[in-house]
Amino acid sequence: MIDAALAAGPVELLATRSYYVGTFLLLGIGAYVMIASPNLVKKVIGMNIFQTGIFLFFIAAAYVDGAQSPVLEQAGPYVSPLPHVLILTAIVVGVSLTAVALGLIVRIYNEYGTLEADVLQEVRTDD
Amino acid sequence: MIDPVPVALLALVLACALATAVLRDVLAAIIAFAAYSLGIAMIWVLLEAPDVGLTEAAVGAGVTTILFLVTITKTVRPPSEAIFESLDPKGLLVAVLIAGVLASTLGALPPVGSAETPVAQSEVTDYYLDNAYEQTEVKNAVTAVLAAYRGFDTMGEAVVVFAAGVGLLVVLGREVFA
Repeated sequence: MIDAALAAGPVELLATRSYYVGTFLLLGIGAYVMIASPNLVKKVIGMNIFQTGIFLFFIAAAYVDGAQSPVLEQAGPYVSPLPHVLILTAIVVGVSLTAVALGLIVRIYNEYGTLEADVLQEVRTDD
Repeated sequence: MIDPVPVALLALVLACALATAVLRDVLAAIIAFAAYSLGIAMIWVLLEAPDVGLTEAAVGAGVTTILFLVTITKTVRPPSEAIFESLDPKGLLVAVLIAGVLASTLGALPPVGSAETPVAQSEVTDYYLDNAYEQTEVKNAVTAVLAAYRGFDTMGEAVVVFAAGVGLLVVLGREVFA
């Protein structure tokens, strides 16, 4: 199967797996924002982009061409419901994570008066 | 044959993610992130995951955006002279490495939408689809799995949300029930 995919050429490879390519790019962008942005709020946004990249991988893996969403009313075939359930849970946990992270950011701002990671490091070494 | 709709949506999502990365103003980045969540929600609908799409639109584009906005009203929106962030070579190197290493696995992944993927052929998938309605009397298989088959997972999720709420009150030093 791997050999067949490679033999079909890079264009075919990208066209049939465009969602996976999107996943990889989103993971790259999310990691970049988390590392490069000095602002703590933007770091949390980067974390959210990284998360949705992984969600895209799961939902794309569940997809089957021509299949219905898993509401058992019409005749099948259906896409698998299990990855959808896992991602629903992950979205809610992700929001909880974001809320706590932002709460910590508000507290950090009240204590140190800055949201820039580099300034924060200087203030903390001065203490 | 390339379908233009998914490609256009993926391009929109990636453009919004890039805009979030390069915009220096935090408010602008938050707005770009809200647009990103909307695009992702549309992709979930295209991929036949309407439940995930609804949750993403309500929680990702709605609640998360509000949380970010509340945060910058409670803290500070740093004044920005420049429109764009300056490029960080180290961060870029790490990001390119992550994307590059992952992309090297692309040939080993099954095509999206193939009926021969491990997920589509899994016994678990078949079991849920064949038995969900008889055993739980819920027509939406996602709801059946979420609330019945994997109910303990969902309880764990509720525990996480509760812990996050308590943690938030502790961090912010609020005494709601004092």
